[in-house]
Amino acid sequence: MASVAGTAFAVSVRPPRRLQQVSNHLSGLKSVSFTSQRKSFVSIRSAPRFRISCAAKPETLEKVCSIVKKQLALAENALVTGESTFVQLGADSLDTVEVVMGLEEEFGISVEEENAQTIQTVQDAADMIEILLEKKNAA
Amino acid sequence: MESGVRRWLVNVSLWNPSVDQFASVVSLLPEDEQRTITKYMKFDDRKRALVSRLLQYSIVHEVLGIPYDKIIIHRTLEGKPYLINGIGSPFSNFNFNVSHHGDYVGIASDPLCLVGLDIVSIMIPEQTTEHEFMSNFSSYLTALEWKNIAKTGTSEVKLREFYRYWCLKEAFVKATGAGLGFGFHRLEFHHKNWTDISVYIDGIESREWKFSLYKIDERHWASIARGLANGADEQFDASLPVTEVGFIQRTVDQLIQSRSHGAQQNSC
Repeated sequence: MASVAGTAFAVSVRPPRRLQQVSNHLSGLKSVSFTSQRKSFVSIRSAPRFRISCAAKPETLEKVCSIVKKQLALAENALVTGESTFVQLGADSLDTVEVVMGLEEEFGISVEEENAQTIQTVQDAADMIEILLEKKNAA
Repeated sequence: MESGVRRWLVNVSLWNPSVDQFASVVSLLPEDEQRTITKYMKFDDRKRALVSRLLQYSIVHEVLGIPYDKIIIHRTLEGKPYLINGIGSPFSNFNFNVSHHGDYVGIASDPLCLVGLDIVSIMIPEQTTEHEFMSNFSSYLTALEWKNIAKTGTSEVKLREFYRYWCLKEAFVKATGAGLGFGFHRLEFHHKNWTDISVYIDGIESREWKFSLYKIDERHWASIARGLANGADEQFDASLPVTEVGFIQRTVDQLIQSRSHGAQQNSC
């Protein structure tokens, strides 16, 4: 999908999840697969019990910020906000996996590998955690 | 004759600029690049980001001859940098890929194949064992790959094997530009003592991709992935050179000097 070097050369790879996430943002709903239930996208949308929020609660975001700081060995007063990308904070792909693992442990949730790999900002992580927490509490 | 193939490495631990020197090098780049560099929280990350960009502009200038101030590099949604104005170049699909980890920043370019580069610095967080560290990534490697790692030897050797698999997978997703969310577990690498490396994607062997691994030093390794997507043309498959070229070490000072030399040439 990525077009390279300004030519018409097109890469035929299945559209990466990040793009799917972007278009789901636009339609107001994230596509997240729940590990234990395997609900299809359509049934999630129609189930009235699940209020899928796009933005995490402030306290969730705050907790995520503090866990991220600890995992990436940042100073206590380092400025970490929802917009901060893991890359800017100094995390490489390995670090990001570890951060997600740390978040899973702290929140008692489990994130699928493909979703974990799409987390780019602290907000992405917090939003995903919020959804998984709501699902866990509703179960 | 210009082949369009480059493999460069810079050891950034050898470059220790003052705050002012650093700022003046940053100012050589386009403004939006400068803004991205300064967003990095840690100075070492800023340094790597700066050198990565110096390499990108240098490689385009050296291979395609485009004046520095005319080079426009954008990024895909996944963050992969690519040249906007390569049209008219003799190379049908000139593309490049950068990577950095630890002390090294590297760049690789190819005139035709998609190229991906990944550099790893083999280390684990303090107060963690190799085993604990690797268990974080259990779902990212396949059962066969873990089995091969387990067969090797000491924890240190196992860790190095793990990093090789990781490095190859990263190089692949970076070459295709699929980036995040591809799903590392879909890739399985087969090899004969780390030569003849091939990848199975979703259980099917891919004949379009070639891989190589390089030892940079005791702690750093690099992997290169080269391939043609869109299904291999039988013709293309035959023309993929089998042997890889080695890496050339460059210094930040060289990269900076070549810019001012390039600028002088243009003003003549």
